[in-house]
Amino acid sequence: MAKRRRGTTWRLWAVVTVIGLSGLVIAGRLTQLQIVDHDEYARQARLTHVTEEPVTGRRGAILDRNGYPLAASADSYDVLVERRAWKDGAKAAEAAQAISAVAGGDPQAMVQLVAETDVFEVTLARGLDYDQATEVRRLKARGVRLVRSSHRVYPEGNLAAQLLGFVGRDNSGLTGLEADLEAILGGRKGTVTFERDGMGNQLAFGDRKEVAPEPGSDVVLTIDRYIQRLAEKELDDAVKKHKAKGGTIIVIQPKTGEILAMASRPTFDLTKLDLSDDSKLALYRNRSVTDQYEPGSVFKLITASAALDLGLVSPDTWWYDSGVVHSGGWSIYNWDFSANGSQTVTQILSKSLNTGAAWLAEQVGPERFYEYVYRYGFGKPTGSGLSGEAPGRVRTPDNDPENWRPVDMATNSFGQGISVTPLQMATALAAIANDGRAIKPRLVREIVSARSRQATETEPGEQVISADAARTLRQMMGVVVDGIPKTYLDVQGYRVGGKTGTANIATDGGGYKPNAYIASFTGIAPLSDPALAVLVKIDEPTGVPWGTVVAAPAFDRIVEAVLPYLNVAPDQPAIVSDLQ
Amino acid sequence: MATVRKSQPASAALDLLRSPSLPVLLILCAVAIGVAALLPLVQSSDLTATNGNIQRLERDSADWRARLHEMELDVARMSSLERVEKEARERLSMAPPTETHYISVDEPPQQESRLPSRYLPPPVEEPRAGSSLWDKLFGWIPLP
Repeated sequence: MAKRRRGTTWRLWAVVTVIGLSGLVIAGRLTQLQIVDHDEYARQARLTHVTEEPVTGRRGAILDRNGYPLAASADSYDVLVERRAWKDGAKAAEAAQAISAVAGGDPQAMVQLVAETDVFEVTLARGLDYDQATEVRRLKARGVRLVRSSHRVYPEGNLAAQLLGFVGRDNSGLTGLEADLEAILGGRKGTVTFERDGMGNQLAFGDRKEVAPEPGSDVVLTIDRYIQRLAEKELDDAVKKHKAKGGTIIVIQPKTGEILAMASRPTFDLTKLDLSDDSKLALYRNRSVTDQYEPGSVFKLITASAALDLGLVSPDTWWYDSGVVHSGGWSIYNWDFSANGSQTVTQILSKSLNTGAAWLAEQVGPERFYEYVYRYGFGKPTGSGLSGEAPGRVRTPDNDPENWRPVDMATNSFGQGISVTPLQMATALAAIANDGRAIKPRLVREIVSARSRQATETEPGEQVISADAARTLRQMMGVVVDGIPKTYLDVQGYRVGGKTGTANIATDGGGYKPNAYIASFTGIAPLSDPALAVLVKIDEPTGVPWGTVVAAPAFDRIVEAVLPYLNVAPDQPAIVSDLQ
Repeated sequence: MATVRKSQPASAALDLLRSPSLPVLLILCAVAIGVAALLPLVQSSDLTATNGNIQRLERDSADWRARLHEMELDVARMSSLERVEKEARERLSMAPPTETHYISVDEPPQQESRLPSRYLPPPVEEPRAGSSLWDKLFGWIPLP
């Protein structure tokens, strides 16, 4: 009897323990569901009949300096259909036929798309305009609703494509200014939360909560659409005429640092983007700031300005050109291997003598030479605000003491062995035009929102060279232009100054690319009171490579058209007639 | 012999039940309750309709705004340099000038902004000098 009682007690306790443990497990699970993960399950329960949709505010427009839109957002509509509403094949085909008649597309593909989907709703058509959306709404097709979205429109076509960049399907900037100014253009997204019925339609009397989106601000650029178009046309013509691989033109106002035009080739079609094609990725970058090159003889302006500013030479200082300069065991010759005898400093520029530039740099000395190079802004980004801006490459005795040799300064003096971006070169030219004071280049003029209007201000930099030295150098640049045949450069009504360049192209493995050059021209106009600094750079022209032949004509036509457009009075009174 | 007769409340209720006006009263009560019950329904229905109207009007407003933006962009497209040049060349048979004539004039260049008005802040009305009550009042006093 006693044994049986003990066995009964043991079994009883075992059953009680199992039941107790099971109860604890159930209680624990309930605690997890009801307390620990309450928020998550409550959210999931809410989502079965409540929908939260993001609402995007209107993206700000990008305008040129006169208010003409270069990129703007247009509202569009996407057509969505609820899967369960198209269960009846015949009715679905009828609805698809009606929708495709308005929005385009294959009706059979629409029906198939809806039949094969396993999500609640599927998008049948995108980017409908207002009239198309109204037509679709009139159809009152079962389970079909319209969702407003927007897409980017470019009223000026491909103008300044690389500078502007483009946006993705989510309306966020991917490249160019669209990406750089995302915080300003994009605004703030909002949400709308509403209850819906079994068909997915919003309940008129249901809960509705809306956090309104904030539209993006409009950005007024310093770019002038007329000058930009002119620059792009001249660039296209030069590239085509000389069968070049590409090129860059930059037009800056030297007193304000405002960039009036920034064009690069090759470019892409902004209105027909194909992001799936990886081979086109290289076309999207803004070569004016991302690509570095050896500037060649236009850099002689920098060398001459340093010598003038230090008072070491004047325009008429004599120097004897034997045709060769020796530096650290290396011999430097002129581009045409000429020996010119006694020459002035002005002639060093007008004849573009490499030996003369090396002599000038030797007078200045490496420490001061590179100090001037940095003061002009080479070796560091210009601060234009454009992403991907390269700093350039300046090798000095300080930053590369092991590899730097005296011959480096000699070659740097005529723009070889030193890498710059086109924008850096144009900015340095603008400093010379601005009486020696450097100025930060800028692309944004104003930010305009519904409530405010912020204007950006000119940011003057340091005085690179004295105003007197800058004026003297400008006069020497005028002499350089006087020596260029009028077939290539003859600006009617204005006296202009400039410098040509024909540079070798460095390869990644060291050395230079055979029979390949960069032809360039940097100029200032008018010389008396500069209103424009222009850089024209043509990459790898075939045939004649000289900057005078390839790049100077583009400068001529741009300046001759832009100065009157900017209401700059001509220098030569002979062709001015008084209005009686 | 006087007799005192105690009133019977139950019989009063029975009297009421037997009263011929009872059905009328009951119908009136039922109608009142029905009307009272209908009121929130009518209010709810009205509210639903109003809510629906608001949503429809908001949608219409957004559609018209979209239409407005579309027309603004049409204007921008029409004034694009490429289109202007095409029209000038093809429709008006114009050609770029071959030479430039400069004419000096005394008029200053146009300085005012050419931005469309929607990008400009609303104009601020400057108070006219001497137009306030105090100005008029002190206007009589010959101040130095």
